[in-house]
Amino acid sequence: MIRFEQVTKVYDRRSRPALQDVTVEFERGEFVFLVGASGSGKSTFIRLMLREERASRGAVYVVGRNVARLPSWRVPRLRRGIGVVFQDFRLLPNKTVYANVAFAMQVLGKGRAQIRKDVPEVLETVGLAGKERRMPHELSGGEQQRVAIARAIVNRPDILLADEPTGNLDPETSLGIMSVLDKINQNGTTVVMATHDDDIVNQMRRRVVELSAGEIIRDETEGGYRTDPAGTDPASIDPAGTDPAGTDPAGTDPVGTEGATA
Amino acid sequence: MRFAFVLGETFSGIRRNLSMVVSVILVTFISLTFVGTAGLLQLQINQMKGYWYDRVEVAIFLCTDTSTTTSCASGPVTDGQRESIQALLDSSTAAPYIKSYEHESQEQALEIFQEQFKNSAMSGTVTAEQLPESFRVALVDPEQYEVVNELFSSMPGVEIVSDQRELLEQIFSLMNMASVIAVSVAVVMLVCAVLLIATTIRLSAFSRRRETGIMRLVGASKTMIQLPFLLEGVIAALIGALLASLTTWAIAEFFIGDWLTGQYPGTGFIAGVDALILIPLLLGVAVLLAALSSILTLRRYLKV
Repeated sequence: MIRFEQVTKVYDRRSRPALQDVTVEFERGEFVFLVGASGSGKSTFIRLMLREERASRGAVYVVGRNVARLPSWRVPRLRRGIGVVFQDFRLLPNKTVYANVAFAMQVLGKGRAQIRKDVPEVLETVGLAGKERRMPHELSGGEQQRVAIARAIVNRPDILLADEPTGNLDPETSLGIMSVLDKINQNGTTVVMATHDDDIVNQMRRRVVELSAGEIIRDETEGGYRTDPAGTDPASIDPAGTDPAGTDPAGTDPVGTEGATA
Repeated sequence: MRFAFVLGETFSGIRRNLSMVVSVILVTFISLTFVGTAGLLQLQINQMKGYWYDRVEVAIFLCTDTSTTTSCASGPVTDGQRESIQALLDSSTAAPYIKSYEHESQEQALEIFQEQFKNSAMSGTVTAEQLPESFRVALVDPEQYEVVNELFSSMPGVEIVSDQRELLEQIFSLMNMASVIAVSVAVVMLVCAVLLIATTIRLSAFSRRRETGIMRLVGASKTMIQLPFLLEGVIAALIGALLASLTTWAIAEFFIGDWLTGQYPGTGFIAGVDALILIPLLLGVAVLLAALSSILTLRRYLKV
């Protein structure tokens, strides 16, 4: 479904690469946690799949296509197959919940009848039935994130990318979001989630890929946030990672800087 | 559905950005009105050319007793000289240039003179001998006056070859000058309009970066994302062009067609109907410039 082949990404020649020779493959229907400290390359990883960036070396395959080779007019089609959720929700503040989700269908030219059918369905899936008419500012953070998830999956993408979706939420709300993502995964969507939240990773027991300084230092199925120190080479664990949840303020996240590429 | 959505986005963009859009409309309006005025001047010149060139003639005046030019040193025109002039008018050398000619005798000249100046005291005192007889020549192409002048001015018995067109040429050059000035002003204003459209689109794209960001993420096509902005610029420019068209038509209809024609009857002025052919031109210029500046701006500031 998603395959990275010796991918290196260099933003700035003077500093170290954001990703260094990364090779990894995610299967259809998998649920993968991408963990690692700030600046470990998680966001770059996600941006490469969306073709927000192009790999400096190596190839990124999404649904069998090398995204770097994609002509620019084909990029929208690639993105139609991928739903994305961010830490900062990115809802349109002047539109209702319903309109926010419908917007994602309208801009793809979907018909009115289909919108009327799909939007309530997907709002039901994320647990927001009955809140169609609310405005984003009237919702809690968790509810806003559910709207964002609804918007990301309303066009039925094969892949859902979530870049720290629980970063702004308290632990309890986060669990609610996780159950929504889990439900989406159960329906067959491949979910890749970058996160700092050790509780969630430990509870979910899914595949964990850990990045550090742009390299994959760990990849295990049903992994925890941090493996037993005896199990792996302790030297490879970033010392800054001891308190991972607090080390990534929203502002430093390259994907999280809204409007930077608009 | 798709089209309705794009239009909806366009108008919501116009609403949010209303003051900029209004300024685009006004600048386009003024600049295209200058373009329209220049067009009217050219139309008027053409109209007058068509009107007058059919009526103006080249007059070959023949020598009289009172002629003072050197070519008439030998006295009034003789019958032989007149015949050779007429022979040249009929010859194959002159035929390609000459549509028709008439001989105007001194008596006929007097009649015309008395008709033209019948209210003047002068008409009684002038005699036929004082007026030159002439050949009135209508040319195939009035521009080719010089050829006729060269052929006849050196012939014996010819006092002078005069082209009535010369007077008109002065008026035309004045009008041409005015239309050049109008076009120059229009060009400067159009540059302003283009830059203003670019700025407007840029502001609009910035104020809607949330929407466009989401559009990109869900995989909306480039057309879907950029078309509303493009339409915003084009619609604003089109409204300006429509106002300019209306103004140009009003100038032609009321100022030239009604007022000037009333002031100077029989001059051959254009009217509102003639200005209608300028309207597609104005609309075309507006759409082209707006689309071009929008596309260039979007390529730079709204990546997909």
